[in-house]
Amino acid sequence: MISLFKDVCERRELLWILVARNLKIRYKNSALGFFWTLLSPLFMILIYATFASILKWNSGKPDYLQFLIIGLVIWQFLMMCLGDSLNTITGSSNLVKKTAFPRVILPLAMTVANLINFLLTSVILVLYLIIMRISFSNLGWLPVIVLTHFALCLGMGLIVSTTNVFFKDTEHLLGVGTLAWFFLSPVFYSISLQLDRLPDSLDWAAFLNPMTGIICAYRVCLMSDTSPGRGMIAVSFVMAWLVLALGLLLFQHLQRRFAEEL
Amino acid sequence: MSDEKVVKVSGVGKRFRLRPGGTRTLKSAVLGWMGGGKSHELWALRDVNFSVARGETLGIIGANGAGKSTLLALLTGTMEPTEGSISVAGSVSSLLELGAGFHPDLTGRENVFLYGAIMGLSRAQMRERFDAIVDFAGLSDFIDQPVKHYSSGMYVRLGFAVAVEVNPEVLLIDEVLAVGDVPFQKKCMDRMTEFRQQGKTMLVVSHDLSVIQKMSDRIMLLDEGRVTGLGDPGDVIGSYRASAGQRAAQSMEKEWGTGQVKITGVEFRDEAGNTVDSFECGGTLSARISYEASQKIDDPVFGFALADSAGNTLYGSNTQLEGVDIAAIEGTGSLMLNLSDLYLAAGSYLFSFSVHSADHKTNYHRLDNAFGIACRTDKNAAGSCCFPCSWDTTGT
Repeated sequence: MISLFKDVCERRELLWILVARNLKIRYKNSALGFFWTLLSPLFMILIYATFASILKWNSGKPDYLQFLIIGLVIWQFLMMCLGDSLNTITGSSNLVKKTAFPRVILPLAMTVANLINFLLTSVILVLYLIIMRISFSNLGWLPVIVLTHFALCLGMGLIVSTTNVFFKDTEHLLGVGTLAWFFLSPVFYSISLQLDRLPDSLDWAAFLNPMTGIICAYRVCLMSDTSPGRGMIAVSFVMAWLVLALGLLLFQHLQRRFAEEL
Repeated sequence: MSDEKVVKVSGVGKRFRLRPGGTRTLKSAVLGWMGGGKSHELWALRDVNFSVARGETLGIIGANGAGKSTLLALLTGTMEPTEGSISVAGSVSSLLELGAGFHPDLTGRENVFLYGAIMGLSRAQMRERFDAIVDFAGLSDFIDQPVKHYSSGMYVRLGFAVAVEVNPEVLLIDEVLAVGDVPFQKKCMDRMTEFRQQGKTMLVVSHDLSVIQKMSDRIMLLDEGRVTGLGDPGDVIGSYRASAGQRAAQSMEKEWGTGQVKITGVEFRDEAGNTVDSFECGGTLSARISYEASQKIDDPVFGFALADSAGNTLYGSNTQLEGVDIAAIEGTGSLMLNLSDLYLAAGSYLFSFSVHSADHKTNYHRLDNAFGIACRTDKNAAGSCCFPCSWDTTGT
């Protein structure tokens, strides 16, 4: 694991070039190009604001819209990584088959590119929250939350990109899986909805889903939402880093066979 | 060239598992685990041992599927050997497929830096080389265009320029010279000659035997994943041509006749009387033809024909045409065919032998295209013949 870290550090030039490539290609051939990074969250906020008010989704929460949008932006980062990871290895088959470099740089570059995208989107989100006069709290925890969120996305990216090399069913399974995951995570509903249905002694089970704790933690920071408790959030954070560890193990174990399978 | 070994390959084998039905799906994997799906193994390489000294150029030849590309992939490090070990001292740049890894949506400039980063060069190092790369590729007007707008020739030129300019310690070249137009091929050849003079270590795979013979210090012949020859370029290529000739012979071989006389064997010899199947251009070939006649045959005629590897007859003659009378044969015996001044171009050739009646009405035994030989020469001339030639330029 340490040698892997050293390898990546040595090849950071390649990492940055691949990150830049991923970002460039996403907006290549579109007239507004890079502005889409800022425009798409803006449109998303507008669309949800309109429909949430028409459909009366607010379920008694006065700040429901902010609550929903924070959840969606956070979910978006994971979604983008999962979608891109299908192509991370298989879409670079030329590179993988013909050249030698630490393979882990490919999913890493994909996740870093999406992280940059996520952070830029967050600028819009934070501006919106300021305009809506939302009170922030505990912003000091934010870097830890973002890093854990990143670890989860990278871990999932490693798992999906590896699996897709060997099983072509991955794409279909992923579609179903993400949909289920989305509804299992408190993106558009409050975590209390899950906790109310669980006996108190089993509350921690809801936080085995790493996204649950991550979304709750962001909301505690960004809109002073009621915290489910540090211990609960810690369960999710540990799960997120375990996903990364599992992803790295799986990826490193199978990457030597990539060139043959592609 | 020094004694220091830059590339060491010992006991290397590479096994592929071939699955029926192509790509793997969850269903096929589950069936596989349950023992239902059968996959069979293929050893693309087995027991490969060799080393390459610093500054040496090793040519690798062999038929399609002999394992050449697998070997280069193992040396590049994109695949790992199933058994044995490979060590390469220093950086490896491969011209496995020119422009491999270029992204169509990125510009030439961006792709050059991407390739440099893959090869482990820093941006500063690449900036130093950038002008030389663009200059060599002759693409200064197009370098900021996305490479998807490039013609295939431009693509290949940029690929070659980058791969050689990253200045690797070991350069792997796979069938690169088969692409590009003639001036570009010449440019590539010149650059590779320069590389040799600078003492670079190269491994070259090619089907163009005359080019690879000129470029290489040694040649390795692979056959179905095993090393069947390693040494002097002339010798290895000669024996490769002979075996290729024999293979071609097998596919075009035809045996027929009434069987009253049978040609039981043919043995080829050189001037010195050694049994060989590879001859120097302009040399002498003797073929001892053994036969067996089950009954007494009067006035038999023995004939031969020499064809190129495609089966086109180049020359043929027989005892009748040469005025040699054989009154009668019975039982076993042999006769000798002598061909002097064998002015054949480098390549593989096929011999046919026959024995028939004097009126050509009865064919006792014919072996068409049954015997392969090879010819070797340093001269890379066109056609199947290779006459000695000289030019008088006093009038120019």
